[in-house]
Amino acid sequence: MNLGIIELLGFGSQGWGGPLLKAAGVTLAAASCGFFLGSLLGICGASLKLARAGVLRTIGHFYTTVFRGVPEILVVYLFYFGGSVVLTNAMNSGGFPGFYSLPAFAIGVIAVGVVSGAYQTEAFRSAFLRLDRGQIEAGTACGMSKLLLLRRIIAPQTLRVALPALGNIWQSVLKETSLLSVIGLTELLRQAGTAAGSTRQPLLFYGAAAVMFLIIGRITGLILTRMENHLAKPWRR
Amino acid sequence: MDWPFLLDVFHQLLSGLPLTLQLAALSLSVGFVLAVLVAAAVGSPFPPLRWVARAHVELFRGTPLLVQIFLIYYGLGQITPLRQSFLWPFLREPYWCAILALALNTSAYTAEIIRGAVQAVPAGEVEAARACGMSGFMLRRRIIWPIALRQGLPVYGSEAILMIKATSLASIITLTEVTGIAYKLISSTYRVLEIFVVTGAIYLTLTFLLSSALSLAERRLHAHHKPS
Amino acid sequence: MASSSRLAIADTTEAIPAISTADLHKHYGGLEVLKGIDFHANDGEVVAILGASGSGKSTFLRCLNLLELPSAGRLHIFGEEVKLRPGDANLRIADRKQIDRLRTQVAMVFQNFCLWSHMSVLDNLMEAPVHVQRRGRAEVRDEAETVLKRVGLLERANAYPAQLSGGQQQRAAIARALVMKPRVLLFDEPTSALDPELVGEVLKVMRDLAAEGRTMLIVTHEMAFARDVSSRILFLEKGRIEAEGSPQQLFGGGVNERFDQFISRFSQG
Ligand SMILES: Nc1ncnc2c1ncn2[C@@H]1O[C@H](COP(=O)(O)OP(=O)(O)OP(=O)(O)O)[C@@H](O)[C@H]1O
Ligand SMILES: [Mg+2]
Repeated sequence: MNLGIIELLGFGSQGWGGPLLKAAGVTLAAASCGFFLGSLLGICGASLKLARAGVLRTIGHFYTTVFRGVPEILVVYLFYFGGSVVLTNAMNSGGFPGFYSLPAFAIGVIAVGVVSGAYQTEAFRSAFLRLDRGQIEAGTACGMSKLLLLRRIIAPQTLRVALPALGNIWQSVLKETSLLSVIGLTELLRQAGTAAGSTRQPLLFYGAAAVMFLIIGRITGLILTRMENHLAKPWRR
Repeated sequence: MDWPFLLDVFHQLLSGLPLTLQLAALSLSVGFVLAVLVAAAVGSPFPPLRWVARAHVELFRGTPLLVQIFLIYYGLGQITPLRQSFLWPFLREPYWCAILALALNTSAYTAEIIRGAVQAVPAGEVEAARACGMSGFMLRRRIIWPIALRQGLPVYGSEAILMIKATSLASIITLTEVTGIAYKLISSTYRVLEIFVVTGAIYLTLTFLLSSALSLAERRLHAHHKPS
Repeated sequence: MASSSRLAIADTTEAIPAISTADLHKHYGGLEVLKGIDFHANDGEVVAILGASGSGKSTFLRCLNLLELPSAGRLHIFGEEVKLRPGDANLRIADRKQIDRLRTQVAMVFQNFCLWSHMSVLDNLMEAPVHVQRRGRAEVRDEAETVLKRVGLLERANAYPAQLSGGQQQRAAIARALVMKPRVLLFDEPTSALDPELVGEVLKVMRDLAAEGRTMLIVTHEMAFARDVSSRILFLEKGRIEAEGSPQQLFGGGVNERFDQFISRFSQG
């Protein structure tokens, strides 16, 4: 009870340093997987919103409106409870009675991915719309097929333009993973909560979690800025 | 479609709406006042004030809102002088903790919005005003702030929408606003999709109303840009 | 009335024309922009396409590279008919592969250069030969360097487009077209986006290309250049060929009233 801060946050037998560090790894993993899933969904969403067919555009519009307009925590509940309902029904009808649920990590990644996908849709879409049509036309005029054009001209330029927005979305994703503590994922916040509960030091441990979020955000932010600068090289005079 | 069930869910959720709206309105207004102070401090010539303000912005933008809520709700009680002060009856309540956390959080984002909007005021227009002999408060009140307001309003609109969504986190510290009720309904009935749809519709309506109001305000502010 | 003033070009050669169109039409919605163009350019010819703004010059040129799909008519490139099939408003591409192949033979130079901004000049040049024509990297690189040297940009090979002047960018764009070893070069107002002092360097490159006997179709407002360099003038008005002939004939005056009016506006300005 009377342990000092160093012991409490350290890596000794009484310290929470180890578990917290591991939880930070879980946070980073969930955020990365969620962001990556969001990128895939964002590319699909942007293609839908840019499609010629009205139905596809409506689907894309619906996706972004709903998942940007509804609280993230509600989306987490949707996949958490919804996932277990679907899985339990499937198992029961397949002859396996009982209650089933998906692992919290998978649910969390899906929820975070679906939400960030809606934001990434907008990032990719507006980046695509800002591309120079002439350069795409020049590719067509050289006999590039649609796929080649996409791979060699459109994708690299869209990525370059979208990267600053994607960086902001990454920061939100990172922070959003804290919501996954409510469905039992032992990420930073939940681990800090456990430590706070058993040591009665909420200020210290939530503070530590906050600092760790700041550090992760800072470091990944620096990496992204590096990437941005690297990709922006051709446009500097 | 089980309409009676949906309607029942809707009615139950509506009972949480006043709380959601209160949380949003109070934290947005308190947050805005704080933001103005923070933005002023960021631009102040007094370095320690600048550092504190910058730290405030970094801290509240760089950490999850839920961490901030927990720090305030669970952490403040650890500070003995605070427990003995007149503030404690408030800070003991999840309601005021939620508002405090939400307000501090939005104040950091809003301070940045204000700073960006003021920075985006064209230097030429400020110089023109100086050339007319304006300075100090008058320059701010008559030229800089009106221009900044027009530039910052759309961004502030998205921040306000984010705040409406953020009030849902108050449910995690026991407040039964809309999301809190939705959670109870979901975990007791397991009719996930239906409840999600109704709850989502309520939030979408709120954000739609807010963004309509903002674009109306924007149109009014930009009336002078329209060809007559 | 239009055909009365059209001068027949000596069809001494039985050779296959480099490009020919028959009754080419193009409309956008209700607006008919090309109203039946019959045209052919022989191998080695330099055709200057002149006409007032909105007369359909760009549209015509873009149809030749299939950047725009004609609404009706036929298009042959070195005797090979471009396979098009009927569609709603415009004809449709019937054979993508054929079009992509022909496009590398009919290279286009744009008014706004349209270099790919994320690639260095050298990469811009190598892109289509390597990825579309599937030629070997080493050979393409040699070729690209030779071409860059020709247009005077070898020392800027590793620069990005944003780091070049307009004139340099357009020379790079011409080089990009040349590395594909096209059999026809299409130019759409290649100097219109340039500052006056940069026009000369681009025209010089084009003069050299014309002198070596390349087949070129050039939309331009540079009248002196058209007169001196082209072997034939095509004068479009309101989507039709209003006059056609050698520069000596047409610029001599008195052949076509409309053309004379058109020219007089330039000599005054
Ligand atoms: N994509 C399009 N959609 C609708 N109308 C078009 C389109 N492209 C061109 N037009 C119209 O077709 C007509 C011919 O255009 P075109 O660009 O071929 O003219 P031009 O002779 O090249 O003129 P300029 O000298 O100004 O470049 C114009 O009236 C133009 O408005
Ligand atoms: Mg044109």
